Amino acid sequence: MEEEAWMPFKLGLRVVLPCAALVALPAQAHHSFAMFDNTRSVTLSGKVTEYRWTNPHAFVELDADDGKGGTKHYTLECTSPNMMSRGGWSSRTVKVGDMVKAVMSPLKDGQPGGLLLILTLPNGKEMLPGVPNAERYKITS
Amino acid sequence: MAARRWALGACLAGAWMIGVGAAAPERHPDFSGTWQRYPAPGTKADPRYAPSGIPDPQLKPEYRAAWEAGQKILKERLEESQPAGDNYVHCIPDGMPAMMMGMFPMEIFQRGEQINITQEAFSQTRRIYMNQKLPKWDEVDPGFYGTAVGHWEGDTLVIETTGIKQNVTFRWTPHSEAMKITERIRLIAPDILQDRITIEDDYLEKPWTYSYSFKRMNGYKLQEYVCEDNREYIGEDGKTHLRINK
Repeated sequence: MEEEAWMPFKLGLRVVLPCAALVALPAQAHHSFAMFDNTRSVTLSGKVTEYRWTNPHAFVELDADDGKGGTKHYTLECTSPNMMSRGGWSSRTVKVGDMVKAVMSPLKDGQPGGLLLILTLPNGKEMLPGVPNAERYKITS
Repeated sequence: MAARRWALGACLAGAWMIGVGAAAPERHPDFSGTWQRYPAPGTKADPRYAPSGIPDPQLKPEYRAAWEAGQKILKERLEESQPAGDNYVHCIPDGMPAMMMGMFPMEIFQRGEQINITQEAFSQTRRIYMNQKLPKWDEVDPGFYGTAVGHWEGDTLVIETTGIKQNVTFRWTPHSEAMKITERIRLIAPDILQDRITIEDDYLEKPWTYSYSFKRMNGYKLQEYVCEDNREYIGEDGKTHLRINK
């Protein structure tokens, strides 16, 4: 079990990881990611309303463009701050008011939220939250 | 004259004692510092330092059926990327012996009379009191980390632990409150630590033994881990959901 699933930053091949010292560490699923639909992704653009640097997982709250001139609120789950920190994130990586692009695996139950796969910061940097078995989450959007 | 001889003798004896005193403290290897599980993700272990792998526990027949049913569920969960156990879902630490799997880095803090092992996950800390007698299981209040004592056998730190709560399990393996965990920890290379774990219990037909390896991390500092914002919950449908902000 914990011998597998050690690929937290596998997506990193296609994005720039800004961290100086990426320490590769085990990232077994210790929280449920089964509630997310990993067969498709949704891409959102909008304004960050909250960034919670908390355990067990960090969250980005986003007011995303709904494509009709309005916004819709989404909750984006990340992984744990220690893993994210080893992947180059900090409690200050995202700020309230930041205009970001987010790729997520949506919640299966239809609630407006999902598992964050890639976050593009205002400066264009793409950040990965180090989702365990990231290769299993299809990016279709 | 006699006094001078005595003084000289005392002096020599003192010098001898200082000499002995300097050499007397046994030199033990220093495990202090931060460690991560070896081999590192995506790398192959040098066979000399590889962990043993974990065999199935040899449970007595009366416990086996329930354990096997549990393993089936566990396997399905893992395939779905669901949590391996229930503790983390409820923001509860692993406890012993599961915490030694070291999902995240761990720190060893070593003093002559006490050694602490802290896991980054949930800031779990074990306190190992050196050269004390292991209490009987029913003399201590069971907990997550139990009561642990240690001693050195040459370069090997031997830790005995008892007093683990019955609801604190590793791989959903049932055990009695009398379960005893014995670990033999030693450096098998300058920067590789091996922990050989042996679990003895009345629920087992024979002791359950496996090992982990850890690699020294240079300069890494453990991060705080307080489980303060658990948004996962099991709904009435029996499935895991996320509490979202509307």
